[in-house]
Amino acid sequence: MQQAMRPQMMGARVSRVEDQRLLTAQARFMDDIQVPGMLEIAFVRSPHAAAEIVSIDTSRAAQVPGVHKVMTFDDCPYWLWMRGVFKVGQPALAHGEVYYVGQPVVAVVAENRYIAEDAAELVEVVYRPKEPVLDMREAIAERPRRVHPEAENVFFHREYQTPGFEEAFAQAPHHLSETFSLSRQTAVTLEPRGTAAMVDPATGRLTVYASTQAPHRVRLDLATFMDIPETQIRVITPEVGGGFGMKAATYPEDVVVVQAARTLRRPVKWISDRMESLLSDVHGRDDIHDVEVAFDDTGKIIAIRDHLMADGGAFIPVPFSGAVGETSLAAMVLTGPYDIPHLAYTIDCTFSNKTPLGAYRGVWGPVASFIQEGIVDRVARYLKMDPAEVRRRNMIRDEQFPYKNAAGMVYDRGSYLESFERALDMIGYADFRARQKALRQQGRYLGIGISCFVEPSAMASSEAGSVGYESCSLRMEPSGRVIAALGLGPTGQGHETTMAQLIADQIGVKLEDVIVLHGDTDSAPMGGGTGGSRSATIGGGAALVAGRQLREKLAQVAAHLLEAAPEDIVLEDGKAWVSGVPERSLAIRDIARAAYLDVKRMPGGMPVGLEVTARYLPPRPITFSNGCHIAEVEVDIRTGVARVTRYVVVNDCGRLINPTIVEGQILGGVAQGVGSAILERLHYDENGQLTTTTLLDYLLPEATDVPRVQMAHIETPSESEGGIKGMGEGSLIASPAAIAGAIADALEPFGGLVDRLPVQPSDVLAMVGRAAS
Amino acid sequence: MKPAPFGWIRAHSVAEAVAALREHPEAKVIAGGQSLVPLLNFRLSRPSHLVDINPLETSLNQVEWSGSALTLGALVRHQRLAEHPVVRERVPVLSRAASHIGHWAIRVRGTLGGSISHADPAAELPAAMVALNAVLVAQSADGTREIPASEFFQGYYTTALQADELLTAVRIPAPEGRWGFAEVARRLGDFALAGAFVQRGSRVAVTWFGVAGAPVRVELTEVPADAREREVAWRQALTTAVGSDLEVAKVAQAVAVAEKAWSEAQ
Amino acid sequence: MAEASIQPLTVTLKVNGRDYTVTVEPRWTLADVLRHQLGLTGTHVGCEQGVCGACTVLVDGEPARSCLMFAVQMEGHEIVTIEGLTPEAGLSPLQEAFHRHHALQCGFCTPGMLVTATALLNQGKPLTEETVREALSGNLCRCTGYQFIVDAVMDAQGGK
Repeated sequence: MQQAMRPQMMGARVSRVEDQRLLTAQARFMDDIQVPGMLEIAFVRSPHAAAEIVSIDTSRAAQVPGVHKVMTFDDCPYWLWMRGVFKVGQPALAHGEVYYVGQPVVAVVAENRYIAEDAAELVEVVYRPKEPVLDMREAIAERPRRVHPEAENVFFHREYQTPGFEEAFAQAPHHLSETFSLSRQTAVTLEPRGTAAMVDPATGRLTVYASTQAPHRVRLDLATFMDIPETQIRVITPEVGGGFGMKAATYPEDVVVVQAARTLRRPVKWISDRMESLLSDVHGRDDIHDVEVAFDDTGKIIAIRDHLMADGGAFIPVPFSGAVGETSLAAMVLTGPYDIPHLAYTIDCTFSNKTPLGAYRGVWGPVASFIQEGIVDRVARYLKMDPAEVRRRNMIRDEQFPYKNAAGMVYDRGSYLESFERALDMIGYADFRARQKALRQQGRYLGIGISCFVEPSAMASSEAGSVGYESCSLRMEPSGRVIAALGLGPTGQGHETTMAQLIADQIGVKLEDVIVLHGDTDSAPMGGGTGGSRSATIGGGAALVAGRQLREKLAQVAAHLLEAAPEDIVLEDGKAWVSGVPERSLAIRDIARAAYLDVKRMPGGMPVGLEVTARYLPPRPITFSNGCHIAEVEVDIRTGVARVTRYVVVNDCGRLINPTIVEGQILGGVAQGVGSAILERLHYDENGQLTTTTLLDYLLPEATDVPRVQMAHIETPSESEGGIKGMGEGSLIASPAAIAGAIADALEPFGGLVDRLPVQPSDVLAMVGRAAS
Repeated sequence: MKPAPFGWIRAHSVAEAVAALREHPEAKVIAGGQSLVPLLNFRLSRPSHLVDINPLETSLNQVEWSGSALTLGALVRHQRLAEHPVVRERVPVLSRAASHIGHWAIRVRGTLGGSISHADPAAELPAAMVALNAVLVAQSADGTREIPASEFFQGYYTTALQADELLTAVRIPAPEGRWGFAEVARRLGDFALAGAFVQRGSRVAVTWFGVAGAPVRVELTEVPADAREREVAWRQALTTAVGSDLEVAKVAQAVAVAEKAWSEAQ
Repeated sequence: MAEASIQPLTVTLKVNGRDYTVTVEPRWTLADVLRHQLGLTGTHVGCEQGVCGACTVLVDGEPARSCLMFAVQMEGHEIVTIEGLTPEAGLSPLQEAFHRHHALQCGFCTPGMLVTATALLNQGKPLTEETVREALSGNLCRCTGYQFIVDAVMDAQGGK
């Protein structure tokens, strides 16, 4: 099929169409949804990691003036459960037992949040505490007990080995082993979660406002769990203040809000406060990897063996188990951009009495990068080789593409060596070592860390919990302007701009003449939402295909009106003309007018109107982006505080739709990587209490923690529509590994290596202290 | 996260404020509110009433140099403390320490009296009071009393201030010798992992914060000239004062800030 | 707790140059009153812990956390919110710079950022990257990594 003649918008640094309303306080976020008569919910949450519920007394709470209802499981008897896949589901409100601190137990519906919280304090729940299951390795061995009596603690197990692994591993001249771990972390969107529900006065259907990345998913889940016909539910996402995977799940609170609105026949809203968000938003990471590596004298890595473990928490979030994602998908890319022929792994995902583990940007990627780069750095240090040289020797060569890695994943063509060499050049690697040496003499410890990454994006199979395709419907209105509707759920990525860029190119109209709708299940065709770096490739692919179909329709009508062949019609700059005869032209708005208002001028047999719906599934199951991050850090060995001082990124995500937006994604991911590497840690104490329930305990990077980042792009097109690859997660996949490597490099005189993230000052001081003693 | 209900009392004079505190034993004073309001939002603090002393701003925000002492009103806000030319000239280490408190928006509201009364063990100003040998002026319905800073801070969030007393001012004698200040925190504006004021004059004293329930001041008779030996001296001073069961990292950080403050007091 | 006197008080708040007389419970935070009583929803609430900075407003020209103040305290003070910093038509030079530099993604922290940056620019001091980062350090952003925000503020100063 024919692409647009001259793409004008694709690749352009277009300023976002979303900005105007956001900058001028006109945007409407979840808590800005205010409807007359609206009630608010406060939840009573479990104070115990594990306990039986002996009794619940709601009578005092129910008497507080302004309280409309106090709900327990009996008032909302629904389960969030992927039945048939997992043996355990989560009740919307606790049913007989609580399984983690923060689990919703009772919902108080009141005139406002202040009153709801007053009454929530008066709900009396008597608990009989049980011994919590908190340690991953113990849990695998069913100690101290099963979290759920009806299910083994290990809810997912897998083993894999390349043929000939044992021989190859045994025969290698050198072996190293290490245990790597990533702490629990979480997305912390600046806008907390929230949901509102009300009966639509015009139709009697339910309107659900949800701060989500996946509106159709929420509709499907509510319909399934609550046995409501899907057609009776309309899910609308207002402006969403960040998602990062965390808002891709359907939560118990969503079900409770809908039930409250249904039973009270009033609009009801719940907005998470920050403490609730740290307790009950899905957590991420929480991995342990027992790794062994085999390599030869030249630094060539021959085999990796890994036992991957992840603590899935008390329940499996719908639709995505973070633990299964963190492990099974990490295992697929453990060899990263390196040509490592042998791999063996064992995966165990366990239940515990902690908050359910779901998605946080990058999911499997950050841990895989951390391990793969950690392995390379250890091999280099063991052999006293330059870590850059070890990377060079192991890197997949251009002539090996499409490359099938040891786990069986097929990588797209990429710029593996080129991005790496370019990044080394940008950071001035050659000069760095001399500077590092000189500063060490002065007692200053600088380090450099290299992270070459592959970014699996745009999953066309449904393992990420979403559907593999995306949809775009385009409707040209009689004015010649276009309404596009997609099933995406953007949370700041700028799809209203980028999708419009793609569509405008295809049909030859101005950017501002394409309005992109999303986040409304009534207007958008069924789609997978935004997550897993799928929107640009799969959503963009749908936009391109739909654009082309509309273009063909326009060309047919134009050809008829201009008395030419459709293949000779050029559509550009708001006009259609006959190729080579620009004076034989029509304004696109005149074609649109004919298609709707003067239909007798339409070609015979052609349906009235200009409307198409396209669905797009990429040709590859996963589209791989790649690139290289290099971080420079300075570590104060007296205080243990590490600071990222310089940072470069070379990124290859195929054809760029909008370089500025791509750069914004990179910068945000690097900042989150600074958090992942040195600041962010959810901590449970020995009773299973989460001790990090404020933003003074869970430390997000501030403007002063993040370095200025220098960026460059390489464009190796994918085989997908437009040559696009996904890129929303790569920067957070690569950056923790780069920073960890840099800290290890800075502490090399002390034998320092980083085996856990985040690296805290006490970890640094312990490394320095061990070396001294 | 919404506060439990409380009554609101606007104080138009110190006398009114302390009368209200006497009348309502469960009342609390609100000044800048930067520490108190989060506690209210968490419902960790549940006063019956808040006594708002912000209307007293004009009478409790004095910055006065008498020739031998600096008197500061309890409602002097951190940002003003950091920027005030008189403080900068007479007690520069205090303005430097104030500039390290929280973030801009916090410093704009937070007050000297509030920080001292709240007595967070990792806060800068309580330690500054101890380091600078300040006298804290407290008023109640019974009258006024002066409490030396060295006796004021009694442990985690615990002070010598009675429930019906209001801290109205502090008096800082002209500091003797050269002074240094340093702190280490995970991020800019965070409470310190450890911080120190060091006085180098006819005597040498270090005052740490963030290492115990209250600021810790130690006088050193001898400070070695050699950096490595000095490090040992700081370590000894610290363990003498707070015992030896501090975390290893905490000790290292306390030594590091003492040394940094020392070298800044050149 | 039951009989604690929560009698609502009537106060007059001056917000964005306009007087609003409202009856509020003492415990209602300024952020909640701005948003829910006055309908000024541009001020966002991100933590109610005084950390994230999303709720930053100007009080007498200086940035302050509206989640850490009660509306009853605000009589006699001039409050300016993002609505008050937005011109009747178009964008302010600072907003324009944010747009030009892609200094926002989800936009939730943006009002607080704009308020703090306005206070900084109003000081009229020469800015460096370091001073801008320091001034903004109390405003958390999870999307942008701050770099383009810093660029926008520096650029807006140039354009002022």
